[in-house]
Amino acid sequence: MTDLNSYIAKLDKAIEKYIPSKNTPLYESLYKPKDLFRIPLDDAKKMQLKTIKHSFIHHYNNNQFYHNFCKEHSFSPEDIKTNEDLDKIPLIPDKFFKDYPNGKEFATWLANIYTGDLPKIVIKQKKPTYDDVIDAFNRAGIIVTYSSGTGGRHTFVPRDQRTFLNSEYILAKSFVTMVYPFWEYDSYGYLLMPNPRKNFIYAGKAVEVYFDAVKDVDVAIDRRVTTELISMTMGGAGGIKSKFVRYFAYKKSKKMIDDIIAWLEKHENTDHKITFVGAPYILYAVMEKLKKQGRTFNFGERGGVGTGGGWKIHENKRIPVSDFRKEVQNVLGFKDKYILDIYGMVEGNGWMVHCPEGHYLHVPYSFYKPLVLDDEFKPADYGEWGRFAFLDGAAQSYPGFIVTGDRVRLLKRCPVCDRPGPVLEPEVKRAKGEDVRGCAEEVRKMLSSDLGS
Amino acid sequence: MYSLHEIKTRGYLPPKRLRRLLFYGFLALGKVFITNMKDIKKLSSLSNTKRRYHRPPRRFEIPQYNKNMKYCTKDERYLRPTMYCNSHAPEIVALAHQLGAYQKSDQEFAEAAFEFAKRKLILEMLPLDGVENTLRRGTGTCLHELSVFVALCRAAGIKARYKLYSMNMIEAWSDTLADDPMVKKWSDAMGYFMIHGEAEAYVDGKWMVCDVGPTPERQAGSNIPITRFGEDSIGIWFSVIPGTIMEVESISFGLNAMMKLVFKVAPATVDNVNANILDQIKLGRKILAEKGEKEYDAEIRKNFKPKFPEPVLKKRHEIIFEK
Ligand SMILES: [Zn+2]
Repeated sequence: MTDLNSYIAKLDKAIEKYIPSKNTPLYESLYKPKDLFRIPLDDAKKMQLKTIKHSFIHHYNNNQFYHNFCKEHSFSPEDIKTNEDLDKIPLIPDKFFKDYPNGKEFATWLANIYTGDLPKIVIKQKKPTYDDVIDAFNRAGIIVTYSSGTGGRHTFVPRDQRTFLNSEYILAKSFVTMVYPFWEYDSYGYLLMPNPRKNFIYAGKAVEVYFDAVKDVDVAIDRRVTTELISMTMGGAGGIKSKFVRYFAYKKSKKMIDDIIAWLEKHENTDHKITFVGAPYILYAVMEKLKKQGRTFNFGERGGVGTGGGWKIHENKRIPVSDFRKEVQNVLGFKDKYILDIYGMVEGNGWMVHCPEGHYLHVPYSFYKPLVLDDEFKPADYGEWGRFAFLDGAAQSYPGFIVTGDRVRLLKRCPVCDRPGPVLEPEVKRAKGEDVRGCAEEVRKMLSSDLGS
Repeated sequence: MYSLHEIKTRGYLPPKRLRRLLFYGFLALGKVFITNMKDIKKLSSLSNTKRRYHRPPRRFEIPQYNKNMKYCTKDERYLRPTMYCNSHAPEIVALAHQLGAYQKSDQEFAEAAFEFAKRKLILEMLPLDGVENTLRRGTGTCLHELSVFVALCRAAGIKARYKLYSMNMIEAWSDTLADDPMVKKWSDAMGYFMIHGEAEAYVDGKWMVCDVGPTPERQAGSNIPITRFGEDSIGIWFSVIPGTIMEVESISFGLNAMMKLVFKVAPATVDNVNANILDQIKLGRKILAEKGEKEYDAEIRKNFKPKFPEPVLKKRHEIIFEK
């Protein structure tokens, strides 16, 4: 068995183009440590302070709106001396990223969130749609990803190339570290998400790195899913057009499930390693169909799963993550330790990953600081339930200091495994009164015809 | 009912922004109704409601009107009567005089009218009607309450208008209002298409914002500061979808239709929401009685950091609009 250092070195080679730039605090806190989840706490604390402070200064100096926000809170870079001071960095509520106008003003709004100089962005349309604006930014090298809640109201976040690569690197490295020694480049993947090369749904987009980390990747949803399409299927709009869209989505989903089963059959009697990455409910639908047919597979140590978000299986049914794991073990024969959930959000670039031993969500802590806030938005102690917030040192193109609507409990360390850093309870819920959301939820709703039932 | 001239000049046709909000609101509502036919049938019968709403007693007496009372009769923008807002109505004129019209300074009078509308009128979901009726009942939606304030100011010769927008529901409110499953579905489907408003009075050369909608009890019941005369609640406890703010002389057609529809199709839902509002008032009253209004407000403001940074729409030269 390869040791972890050479294992990660192999990954770094496969995804070299994603590695953070040299001579930056992020290079030290994200690239250099080979195991992000086992950095000794004292070392990590120093890295965290340096990386997040560096990032704060960057946004404070180069982002007018955030600068003003800090002024209102009478907070400036001089106020950061210790890791504890980081908790006082003014946080932006995730709702902020949903309060945007439409048409041309949407482009201006995005530009005002953006930190630093923008490249030239040309909007050709007289009345641009959201998708038109996203495309225009994309042509200029800025990736505007989104995720949405109810009412078809999306959360939009602009990322420059560097920020995006960071996010992808973090995702790949975090997951591959946790499934050690499972990962190898010569393997087969199935992405349970819309094709990232054609789409801007955040979680889907960030897994573009999957194509570099794994030799052969198939994609479940290979078409462009526009914000308009999502609005139509999620209830933002009615009418005949959206009925058609839903009908075709239903037809396509049936074929999608059959394709995945055929793919499993193809790899069944080989020595190939296979992975699924993406929306749990698609895999759930596959397993439901297999169960109906009375079939099982036995991939054993050859199978791995990385799921993200959206634990609603049907409109009114939520499956516990642990039940899902049992299903995957029973129906596909994968091992529990290689079935891990990943928690992340469109506003952040850090990814929390289950540990194989206890399935607690481990938080990267050398460049990212997790916080839990009480009802008055003040930091709560470890062990308290509250609202998840984070300071993200990997966000360069927008201030990544954000309060989310997710309800979590942060523990000082994992109750099961020996990794030293903080963890979140295995299942994350939306805070009371918040939208259900998440990229997988979005895709689920889009294909919401009763898959597999 | 309204002459074409009046409709045109006083702005009864919804402005484009409002038309869009209304359009989506109806779509959302229609969708909820169509997809929940079964529940709707249940909700259309009041006997199915968990508890009935009983309108609380009016918090004030309507003073006697006499013909000698002066009121502003100018046919000028922001001073004349408009839809549901008859500033010449005897009840309004009498009340305006009781509050000190033509005796106090504009600033003092506007404040008195603000305190009246904010404290004495209780929120109740019901279709829109004229200010006379609102005064007789002592209850109404935020739009009813705004109209009373606007009418009082206009009767006293102070220009007043509506500031309508689409707001972000705050959690404390969605707990009260969206506790009912139907409203929850609707507000989910509506997303941001919730129309809310404040009023503005033109005092000493400045438009003063007046958040007359929520009573102090309701604000205490939702853990938010008690907004004062001239203080905009936008940014204090909720945010507004940029580009939806409309400053208008009158309420326009269409707004009422939505309310009427809900009332007709799901009276039990409305009843339930109204009962929830009374609970919220009760809770807030308890908080205010225990702490004292001033102390409550000071305390909550100290803890209440502005949670919403201002979205900015400053032109950036890097963005080139070709058309
Ligand atoms: Zn662990």
